[in-house]
Amino acid sequence: MEISQNEFLHLYYYLRLTRALEERVATLYRQGRIVGGVYTSHGMEAISVGYASALQTEDIIAPFHRDMGAFLVRGITPGEVLAQYLGKRTGPTKGKDGNVHMGDLKRGIFAFVSHLADNLPVATGAALAFKIRGESRIVATNTGDGGTSRGDFHEALNFASVLRLPVVFFCNNNQYAYSTPLHHQMAIKDVVERAKAYAIPGEIVDGNDVASVYLTAKRAFQRARAGEGPTFIECKTMRMHGHSEHDSAKYVPRELLEEWKKKDPILKAERMLKESGYADESDFHETKMKVDKEIEAGLEFAEHSPLPEGPEALEGVFAANHIEVLI
Amino acid sequence: MTTDIVMPQLGESIAEGTIVKWLIPLGGHVQKDESLLEVETDKVALDIPSPATGSLSEILIQEGETVPVGTLLARLDYHSESGNGAHEGQSPRYQKSVDPVQSSVSGTPDLLSPAVRDLATKYQVDLSRITGTGMNGRITKKDILEFLDKQALLKEKTKDSPAVQAASPESALGEDLVPLSPMRRTIAERMVRSRQTAAHVVTFFEADFTSVEQARKDLNLTYLPFVIKAVTEGIAAYPILNSSWSKKGLVVKHAMHIGVAVAVDEGLLVPVLLNADQKDLLQIGKEVADLSQRARSKQLRPEEVQGGTFTITNHGGTGSLFSTPIINQPQIAILGVGAVQRRAVVINETIGIRHMAYLSLSFDHRAIDGATADQFMLKVKSVLEQPAWEIPR
Amino acid sequence: MTTSTIAHDVTYLEAISQALDEEMSQDERVFLMGEDIGPYGGAFRVTEGFQQRYGQWKVLDTPLSESGIVGAAIGAAMMGMRPVVEMQFADFISCAFDQITEMAAKNHYRWGAEVPLVIRAPYGGGTHGGPFHSICPEAWFFHTPGLKLVAPSTAYDAKGLLKAAIRDPNPVIYFEHKFLYRRIKDILPIEDFIVPIGEAEIKRTGRDLSIITYGAMVHVALEAAETLDQEGIDMEVVDLRTLSPLDTGTLKDSVRKTGKVIILHEDTKTGGIGGEIAAILAEECFNALDAPIMRIAAPDIPVPYSPPLEEFFLPKTNDVIIAARQLAAY
Repeated sequence: MEISQNEFLHLYYYLRLTRALEERVATLYRQGRIVGGVYTSHGMEAISVGYASALQTEDIIAPFHRDMGAFLVRGITPGEVLAQYLGKRTGPTKGKDGNVHMGDLKRGIFAFVSHLADNLPVATGAALAFKIRGESRIVATNTGDGGTSRGDFHEALNFASVLRLPVVFFCNNNQYAYSTPLHHQMAIKDVVERAKAYAIPGEIVDGNDVASVYLTAKRAFQRARAGEGPTFIECKTMRMHGHSEHDSAKYVPRELLEEWKKKDPILKAERMLKESGYADESDFHETKMKVDKEIEAGLEFAEHSPLPEGPEALEGVFAANHIEVLI
Repeated sequence: MTTDIVMPQLGESIAEGTIVKWLIPLGGHVQKDESLLEVETDKVALDIPSPATGSLSEILIQEGETVPVGTLLARLDYHSESGNGAHEGQSPRYQKSVDPVQSSVSGTPDLLSPAVRDLATKYQVDLSRITGTGMNGRITKKDILEFLDKQALLKEKTKDSPAVQAASPESALGEDLVPLSPMRRTIAERMVRSRQTAAHVVTFFEADFTSVEQARKDLNLTYLPFVIKAVTEGIAAYPILNSSWSKKGLVVKHAMHIGVAVAVDEGLLVPVLLNADQKDLLQIGKEVADLSQRARSKQLRPEEVQGGTFTITNHGGTGSLFSTPIINQPQIAILGVGAVQRRAVVINETIGIRHMAYLSLSFDHRAIDGATADQFMLKVKSVLEQPAWEIPR
Repeated sequence: MTTSTIAHDVTYLEAISQALDEEMSQDERVFLMGEDIGPYGGAFRVTEGFQQRYGQWKVLDTPLSESGIVGAAIGAAMMGMRPVVEMQFADFISCAFDQITEMAAKNHYRWGAEVPLVIRAPYGGGTHGGPFHSICPEAWFFHTPGLKLVAPSTAYDAKGLLKAAIRDPNPVIYFEHKFLYRRIKDILPIEDFIVPIGEAEIKRTGRDLSIITYGAMVHVALEAAETLDQEGIDMEVVDLRTLSPLDTGTLKDSVRKTGKVIILHEDTKTGGIGGEIAAILAEECFNALDAPIMRIAAPDIPVPYSPPLEEFFLPKTNDVIIAARQLAAY
């Protein structure tokens, strides 16, 4: 499968937007303006940008907290993300939840919960609905290497495989779950081996190569759409920051970080864009300027947005009963 | 304008931080997002970026000092830019309504429940006048309600109780609120319960009271003793009318204890004439008169309003012709007696003037069917219409 | 269909089946998921014959995966379906705890996503099920904002509440008492009806004291009330029907009338729903109380297996009669 210039430039733009937005968020955090936790996908942006870009509008994502790129690709704006982080009423959760805990059914995004891998059974359920109704929509979901140790990961893979549901499972294998290295997380070398137990086809992909992630995802999505069931895709990458911004990650060997720095997904994409003749340095500069402007406008929006009033906390525990015409 | 530089919260569990180094000297210029100082916690060492472009006008915490999160570290003079959305709006906490605390009560025995205390205060009751029937002589809510009932205190209170006057928005609306007396509440609850419980059906008969009229004049009685007599004979013929409903089945009572509804000032009482079938007309007349009189003067004993097996309501006393009475649970029937009137009636082939009245029997269709009810009524009617009443001595 | 009022005798279990059948036949979004609910018809045969009628995707047999099933139901619900999940026994609901309390309960609050999900939980003791087939787990979820909990005591309520739960846009846990499945019957109307969620019902009116209860214990209370009636003690029986959100108005009205109250539940005492009800009554109608609030509940132990042990564990009619006598005399 080939990747067109337009597709690649789209991917590159979202890599830069994700990187710049999360850097802005980290800065706000260190200024004390963001009061809750900050979890970024720094150095891992290619995974979420890659898989989300390979979906169609009517599809669904059930992402996790290293998937900022997927939120942006699906249409969440930097302004909404910043409003969410600042606890503003204009964020997708109106201040009720923070950081990347956001969703919007209109844009096909399920909000995730902190309990890792809980989003996987929910993703299979959306796929089940599509299967029952005979729709050609599919679902993409993601979790980390640590998340694959949880029961819900295994229940979801088994469930999806037995019922041949149109769902694709991604794993962002960034080598560390908070401070726990991979060899302490599992006794297998590659996470993809877990898929074998469920007779789910598995693939390993360079998670820092946005084009590879994109093309691999596309193939898996085609399989799912054709009724051939789920695929598991392990994306190998490295977590370049702490688990969250308050974590200095001293437990990660410096040499390992140095080595992965050279594999940075943005550098890699730029190299490939230049080699293929799709873009040059001036295009990169132009993208950076565009992205920065977008984020500044987003911050302006977020900062001028009102905070919620205290009693708004009482709203929305239950959905209101609406009178429905039964089919 | 000035902005405060405070020790940031660098992780949920971090309580304090140490200033390693001020990267901008006092009075120095700093760009927005340019590193301002180095802070170290037990988890992390970080450069803290400046929140704005400006000059560092004041340094309050020196290098090497450890201070809690939120401590003011320095002040920055800066050029006006958009605010950070700081928000003052606070609102009172959500509060549940709770019952107000009561003031003290006079004549207080040892243990007063909140309910008793509440009623005693509301109706200004001297509790020393009440004998408690609860555990260790405790005055119960029931005791106080019965006391109030006896004193007819509630009735007067509707006129002059300060509590009622104070809380009467109704009078401003051209309405008056008449508080429900305990008797009113009891009647209301029993009536509704009966209607919800029993399958009420009413059957109407007309009876000729002419011979009763003659006999009652001779004996100086009301109509009621004759009706009671007729009912006891009706029950003797159809004992199932003298039963009560239970889930296990109909409990047919051998004794005939006939309840008689009596209107009193605040409502209705149903004193019971025990073993009516064993008494003659004069005895019945005497006892009914006594029960009615004592009902009106509130001198009935509790056991005198209990244990009825069949009830009669004499609604004709106030001119009513028909009624659809509500069964007195757990009985299964109640007889209404309409006003006795002189009417032109066809007798054989002639028309004569007779004393006539309508009889209305409400019965519980769960327990008996229309045929049984009507046979009973025919019996009652035939007893009432007997040409010559046996006159007791 | 005409508005006929022809009625028949229906068991509690049949009422549940009827509700599922009717809702599935009139709303194609409704589907069932669970373990062994297909050809086998469910552990208690609630869905017997359903798969033949509605097909394997509408009556979906799943792997043994409570968390996976509930999670999938949440996903399907957010995509516009109306899943009804069967827990084979309410005891196994603990396997799906996360999905219920973290995902289903919080979705609407956090980001406005409706989760119209029903989880059927066959619960309760009296069937010699032992520690893992007998529990009353409602209090775990009673403490979770965002969930609705219902627990019918009659066949009428069982049908009406299940239909209401399926039509509700929120996650509802439907606690169906196993002991009642085939032991009680009601005459049910043929017409469509629901029992609204959030409304308690006075199952027997009385003047002297109130007993507040739900589920199988409603029958224990009613039986006790009959005996007490013969002693001249008139006990009002309040059936909660919905555990969350509680119909506090009906509870308070009853206690304001009688001044005395017993709270009865089959669940263990400490941390049970009864404690919360006692607190509400003490807070909000203190001045109506003419006696201490009493609780009757199971002791704080797992549900034991052996018949004499289980018999000891479960609250009984006699417990209620003794407590009511004490309270009436107080």
